Amino acid sequence: MQSDVGVLTTPWRCIAAVPAAVLIVIACLQVTLTRTIGLSPWKGGGFGMFSTTDDAGRRRVRVFVSAPERSEEIAISPALEDLADRAAVLPGDWQFTRLARRVVEREQRRGRPVETVRVECWRIDYAPDTLAATSHLTHAFVYQSDPSEARRH
Amino acid sequence: MRSCISPILPRRAATDWEVGALRSATQAARRGLRTTWWIRLWNRLVLPASHDLREIEVVLKLTAIILLLRPFDVWWVSPFVLLTAGLSLLFPTVRRRPITWWLLSTLIALRVVAVWPLSDNHVYLLAYWCLAIGIALAGPVPSVMLARSSRWLLGAAFACAVLWKAFLSPDYRDERFFRVTLMTDDRFAEAVMLIGGLTADQIRENRAVLEPLPEGAELDRPRGLIEPPRLRAFAAVATWGGLALEGLLGALYLLPIRWIPDLARHTALMLFCVTTYALAPVAGFGWLIATMGLAQCPSDGRIVRAAYVAVFFLVLLYSEIPWTGVLASWMR
Repeated sequence: MQSDVGVLTTPWRCIAAVPAAVLIVIACLQVTLTRTIGLSPWKGGGFGMFSTTDDAGRRRVRVFVSAPERSEEIAISPALEDLADRAAVLPGDWQFTRLARRVVEREQRRGRPVETVRVECWRIDYAPDTLAATSHLTHAFVYQSDPSEARRH
Repeated sequence: MRSCISPILPRRAATDWEVGALRSATQAARRGLRTTWWIRLWNRLVLPASHDLREIEVVLKLTAIILLLRPFDVWWVSPFVLLTAGLSLLFPTVRRRPITWWLLSTLIALRVVAVWPLSDNHVYLLAYWCLAIGIALAGPVPSVMLARSSRWLLGAAFACAVLWKAFLSPDYRDERFFRVTLMTDDRFAEAVMLIGGLTADQIRENRAVLEPLPEGAELDRPRGLIEPPRLRAFAAVATWGGLALEGLLGALYLLPIRWIPDLARHTALMLFCVTTYALAPVAGFGWLIATMGLAQCPSDGRIVRAAYVAVFFLVLLYSEIPWTGVLASWMR
């Protein structure tokens, strides 16, 4: 590789490092998000792919709706898949709220009553030696039709 | 500016009109300077780089090819990326303009934001790389600027990968990740049959074992995994070999240049591309890494440059030809 000492002045050498600096900043944010909100290490620009089984394929979002005389789990429709995928990868309140709002809109369009939407994020873990698989709840979020009453569990 | 104005300043107390005129002249001069600065910046971004770009022409072309090979799935980004990449592949004046690459970097960043957080990591790296090209073309010696950016980007990316594998993921260190992934990821199935010695039926059985049971359910007779020693060895080599190679690359790119012979860096990077992307199904990463490696070649290193181009196309072949499947069926 060509040595840049003497070819580039110090400011230009620093400017050439800007893309890597952006990479480091984004990677630090990604690590923070994985540790706080539960972002999947595979995503977010932190280069954590192929390092853990905690990927999008092993996370699942389940949606439950309830109203007077109604309480059931609903299937994620193709139209909601994108939002569900985002909520599974980054299980934050904002993603859950977006998904729950769309669920409420869809249910109301079909004339079904909805008072509460419960969104759950589940993850598959494997035992260290036997690789026995277990699915466990990582996040749960309850959305009331009135958004101000939304709360996290 | 001050030297131009001060000789005409009267020694007596200035009148309001004179003060006003002086202020206007100063402001106009400042505006003039500012305009010049903006024009210079604009010229730097918009005009094609005037330097000899023979050393990085291939790098620019390969980057455009990467963008054309893996179009983005956001309708309002894809057409612009394809058009810009296509034009830059066809016309040297387009690909030599820094603004082309700034635009591409911005479009890719917009795509990352639009589908946040679902983008794969190589899409981020592609955005940083286009930014690096844009900066380099606006700089005084583009080939040297790009080589420096490339070295830092590769070093940072491999350092992050090592951080995750060695320190932040316990399931990588105890080999769980590859033991599970080799059996559950369809993209590795043929390699598992070829190297691990499992049959397609055994893989299916293992996948059933690795499915979690419904809440509260238990099996009368717990099923065991079929893991022959060859498969365990494959998982161990993938785990520790991958980590060692990535750690080595991170060190080679982050340590001072004069400490490391160029050949060591190039050999390690090519070895990584040739081995990793033969099995790992992420061609986009492989192309990008080979292109970034090529950007660090000296102008006279023709063999190394040719080898990087060959690696680029080898990764392309890996992605298009299911060579492990062909070998596995042939061996059966």
